[in-house]
Amino acid sequence: MTHVMEPETGPVGQVSMVFDLNKCMGCQTCSVACKVLWTREAGEEHEWWCSVNTQPGRGTPRDWEEMGGGVREGQPVPGHQPTRAEFGGGWDFNYDEVFYGGKGRSVHLHAVDPGDGSTEWGMNWDEDQGAGEWPNAYYFYLPRLCNHCTRPVCAEACPTGAMYKRREDGIVLRNEDACQGFRFCVEACPYKKIYFNYARKVAQHCIMCFPRLEEGVAPACARQCPGRLVFVGMLDDTEGPIYKLVHEWGVALRLHAEYGTGPNIFYVPPLAPYRLNDDMSVDYVTPRIPPEYLESLFGPRVHQVLDTLRAELERVRAGGTSEILETLIVYRWQSLFGPFTTDPATLDRSPASVAVALGTKPA
Amino acid sequence: MRAERRSGDLGDPGAAAWADAETVTVALGPIALEAQPTEYIRVKWADRPYGTVREVRVAAAHDGRRLAVRLEWEDSATPNTEFPDAGAVYFPTGGDAPVATVGAPDAPVHLWYWQADLADARSLEGRGPGAFRPTGTDRVAAAAALDGGHWAVVLMGELGDAGAARVGVAVWDGANEERAGLGAVSSEWISLEVV
Repeated sequence: MTHVMEPETGPVGQVSMVFDLNKCMGCQTCSVACKVLWTREAGEEHEWWCSVNTQPGRGTPRDWEEMGGGVREGQPVPGHQPTRAEFGGGWDFNYDEVFYGGKGRSVHLHAVDPGDGSTEWGMNWDEDQGAGEWPNAYYFYLPRLCNHCTRPVCAEACPTGAMYKRREDGIVLRNEDACQGFRFCVEACPYKKIYFNYARKVAQHCIMCFPRLEEGVAPACARQCPGRLVFVGMLDDTEGPIYKLVHEWGVALRLHAEYGTGPNIFYVPPLAPYRLNDDMSVDYVTPRIPPEYLESLFGPRVHQVLDTLRAELERVRAGGTSEILETLIVYRWQSLFGPFTTDPATLDRSPASVAVALGTKPA
Repeated sequence: MRAERRSGDLGDPGAAAWADAETVTVALGPIALEAQPTEYIRVKWADRPYGTVREVRVAAAHDGRRLAVRLEWEDSATPNTEFPDAGAVYFPTGGDAPVATVGAPDAPVHLWYWQADLADARSLEGRGPGAFRPTGTDRVAAAAALDGGHWAVVLMGELGDAGAARVGVAVWDGANEERAGLGAVSSEWISLEVV
């Protein structure tokens, strides 16, 4: 009894995202937009369904790229169960002591470790550390969320059948009422983007804001992004920017495609400033981010993609035009969101409407 | 195993009502790797022991309305902050439910499931190792005591749940990351005589 998605019953649609890493400034607005909307309850303190990490870095959970999971030669790869310490975050602070305990002048506010090591790491612990030496230090930001994979190894690993991939849009979801908190999904996910709610004893992950999508509203992470770098749409919409960036122009790549799960979140890889020589002259040949590092994340095609982006930039600098750059610049904000351009403020949120949506009677 | 009618607080594993109850020692063992329900679990646990608790002492009693089953087993000394210890008793609810795999897709069992970190016991339908779903309706209660290196757990539910007069037992060692189908189970139904 293996829960594998059979082709004839598999998804016919796939909602997808492209993140242009050249525009990400690491502001965490996407992370906070998600946090405020979905993970504010007890047990969810450490959960960041969307998070932004500095690369190179150890990420969240700490050293997640070394935790296994995914698929190799058709077989699932055993994964490590990230501990509370490896996720870190969700801290309590000594508010009582400092604000009400009469020690406001002698004790600093600090996180109180409950004994599980969770104050030794957090979702963005190694922010802006990056790598390299001055004046050639380098880093970039990598937003991550559930990849809503074409082969959801999380759902395949679950013995209860609580997880499934929605046929109409490929979103990977979990019936939390059926979830028994066994956490095989957490191990099996090679991206380690499934969290465990220690209060409710269920696993949880990004739901691609499906209640918003169903009303034509883009996911919160995408809509709130001030950098206009998150494209949302259906992967097979040949008129949409996602299809063009991924398939037509081939400038958006999967993160760690070698994990074998077919992630449906794509990234335009980051160009970097050139290196400076010892005399502070510019080395126009050597990019500051080592290409082999980018290859370790985005695969061997990353070099070709960066060449394409550089060539497009050159063409525009020489007075020409570039459809790729016009698309990535996003002159029109709404052009990011494909069919999901509805303004949530325009939706009917009357008590009667909400009651219908929730299946409850109005007060 | 006889479940006699007794007075006293059967929901308390340390209650005097349990002192002279008939206790049977049940041998436990792991569910076969091939029977584990997902490829991921079979790959991950191929070379790793599970179902490590070797035996459990079982007693049963009732108060005319509720049946109580008391389990007692030695606990692994290694603490684990991620996975809790757990124990369950289960009853066949339809067809010829297999005890050694905690039910089958077409032959379910009804589990009364206790977990050390849960405030409430769970009422689950089992259709194979770890293929558990909430039944949604039945009320199950549990109380547990960890004392001197062993667990004593009482699970209580409706007397009617034991109508088939057979009960299975399963125990999970959290320190060994045992959960779902990775627990130790009884290889044969224990006959249950409610008197």
